Amino acid sequence: MSNKQSRSKHIGILSIAVLALSITTASADDQNADNQAPSEQQASQEPGSFIVKDGKVDPNTYQGYLTYTRHCQACHGPDAMGSSFAPNLATAAERRSFEEIATTIAGGLQIQPGRVMPSFAEDPSVISNIGNIYSYLKARASGELGRGRPKVIEGMQNEEEG
Amino acid sequence: MLPETRFAIATIGLLAISMAQAQANENQLELQQNPDLWATQLGNYQGHRYSELDQITRENVEQLQPEWQFSTGVLRGHEGGPLYVGDGRLYIHTPFPNKVFALDLEDEGRIIWSYEPDQDFRVIPVMCCDTVNRGLAYADGKLFLGQADNTLIALDAESGELLWDANNGDHTIGESNTMSPLVVHDKVIMGISGGEFGIRGHMTAYNVETGEREWRGYSNGPDDEVLIDPETTLMMGEPIGESDLGVTTWPEGEWERGGGAPWGWVTYDPELDLIYYGTGNPGTWNPEQRTVDGEPADNKWAITVFARDPNNGEVKWVYQKVPFDEWDYDGVNENQLIDVEIDGEQRKGLAIIDRTGFGFLLDRETGELLVAEKYAAETNWASHYDMETGRPVVNEEFSTYTQGVDVNTADICPTAMGAKNMQPSSYSPDTGLIYAGINRICMNYEPFETNYVAGQPYVGATLTMMPAPVEEEGGMEGRMGSFIAWDPVKGEVVWEVDERFAVWSGALTTAGNVAFYGTLEGHIKAVDIETGEELWRFKTPSGIIGNINTFRHNGKQYIGVLSGVGGWAGIGLAAGLENPEDGLGAVSAFSGLDEYTKLGGILTVFALPDSST
Repeated sequence: MSNKQSRSKHIGILSIAVLALSITTASADDQNADNQAPSEQQASQEPGSFIVKDGKVDPNTYQGYLTYTRHCQACHGPDAMGSSFAPNLATAAERRSFEEIATTIAGGLQIQPGRVMPSFAEDPSVISNIGNIYSYLKARASGELGRGRPKVIEGMQNEEEG
Repeated sequence: MLPETRFAIATIGLLAISMAQAQANENQLELQQNPDLWATQLGNYQGHRYSELDQITRENVEQLQPEWQFSTGVLRGHEGGPLYVGDGRLYIHTPFPNKVFALDLEDEGRIIWSYEPDQDFRVIPVMCCDTVNRGLAYADGKLFLGQADNTLIALDAESGELLWDANNGDHTIGESNTMSPLVVHDKVIMGISGGEFGIRGHMTAYNVETGEREWRGYSNGPDDEVLIDPETTLMMGEPIGESDLGVTTWPEGEWERGGGAPWGWVTYDPELDLIYYGTGNPGTWNPEQRTVDGEPADNKWAITVFARDPNNGEVKWVYQKVPFDEWDYDGVNENQLIDVEIDGEQRKGLAIIDRTGFGFLLDRETGELLVAEKYAAETNWASHYDMETGRPVVNEEFSTYTQGVDVNTADICPTAMGAKNMQPSSYSPDTGLIYAGINRICMNYEPFETNYVAGQPYVGATLTMMPAPVEEEGGMEGRMGSFIAWDPVKGEVVWEVDERFAVWSGALTTAGNVAFYGTLEGHIKAVDIETGEELWRFKTPSGIIGNINTFRHNGKQYIGVLSGVGGWAGIGLAAGLENPEDGLGAVSAFSGLDEYTKLGGILTVFALPDSST
């Protein structure tokens, strides 16, 4: 991933700066994806946009599923449906803008002592996929995408990025 | 003798040290041999969770009623349970921020003292499966607690004052504390959590009086750090022979992030003077990344039962339950020490209701495998264990390594949660059976290539879960748990009772012929120890993942339990599981835990009404 080196390692960064950085990172990633993908993928350039056809999704939304499952599910539960202590993110995505979701992912949250969401600012695999995570959450929120691991729509596969 | 005096003597010479050891050991032993008390989380060193108290019986248990309740003020999952050491107080703990309370048993739980550590909340994100803690240990007037942030502390039980603290790990590399320590001789024995963060597991002994570190044995790496001697340490009853298997059974350097976190319960045999515990999953869940020269490798000593000398940590024997794990069958489940008769011969046994769905019986002197049979009928990842080699015979269809990276291997039973997780079982010497809350859940598992970054999850597999198929006649459709009675010698289920959700609470049996367990909806239930027939239930305010303990004070038998839903169960089951029969997008047929219970830590203390005792 070419944008890795631009990532700052300093912890004390203001969340606004982290947000700006993450948006840059996410959009750079989207452009990369755009270069590799056929024109049908246009729809998923915008964070939060998605295509669902017969339970299958566009590659960015699929990448969002993978990133969610690897990094978010441990607290927010399978399929973005929430856990005993962390909220359902499909519901949250209905109410929250991309900027709000991106700020939370990058900056973390402390709701009360002991109720904490960590900052993912230093994790490139999350930061570079915030837009894709948002697309996955929006697809779940729409009711068009069900539970479980979706497949990618035929003809839309792009190169896997571990 | 004052603690200061004892410490001074202990530093003079070996004889004095051994006297001090004997004294600390005797204190915990003496307490746990008194049936009125519940002085250690598992009831006794052997992990029986059995009480000789018989005021509450199968005949009168239906009259059991709550005496008082106490809110801990803490949300998230409450594991472990109350300790009673005979001083008229209950000692309880909470998940992060790890408060400790001394509650007056004679005054409806009035707070005598409370303690709240000031700890770095940045440890929370590295606690994979909720901020749980499995409870306090006690000996010689001191309480011991492993704080989430890796600080092991000793408190004065009388006043709640901090006596010492010791550093047991580093959250910036993914380490945390969730387990309950065990006091053996003059040592506090403590493991570590962090198997999903590529840590290197370790078990450590600290001095009871000072908190000074006395030995540490790693789960993987060179023999001199695991504390193995290949000439004397036994495996399947024979010396291991080869050296440094904790290094050579891994690809280059992978043992350094090889997991094997021992975060479950530790048991102890005072006669053999050995401690027993199991180690967790090997590093990443992607088996491909743990091969050597492209071949499956044992990844020793992950998912292994260790028998160690508590005095110096030396390993007496090892038994690896799952070499080259492909399913996250984290091998930490408790080792219950039971004396059994096999083929007319008395054996010192060690029984495990294991993550894998198999019930094991080993010889606890030598580590030989005696019995390995399925206690969860749906178990399909292995057909059986080869009793000569002690290795599972894996079903290729459910081998996530054979199926490959980025391939979704479907319908593996049990799930990574295990057919049983950390919820400790009970062993009744009256019936010779083990009573356990279990999980009836299967999974789809897809390994993927992952990179190690210190302090970040090092998982490398995605998985989805679904209720296990119901194979036994009359089983509850869509059920996700059961409470079972298991014959550890015959390797047979004697009876089982199905539950809607996984049974994630520790069990209790008593001389009153009653078995107790809790449900994720929040019920505490009493069943007939011989048939499983339900005799009594009470709905506590939140789901139960704690353990049910019993004790007697001023002639009255009490039952105490912490409610407070959470843990891995609270993450995986909150929204309900997928129905494998449904297509994508269909509404799940299986109910979510979220519809039944919400967060909140509550201690409930039960007793019979005065008129009936």
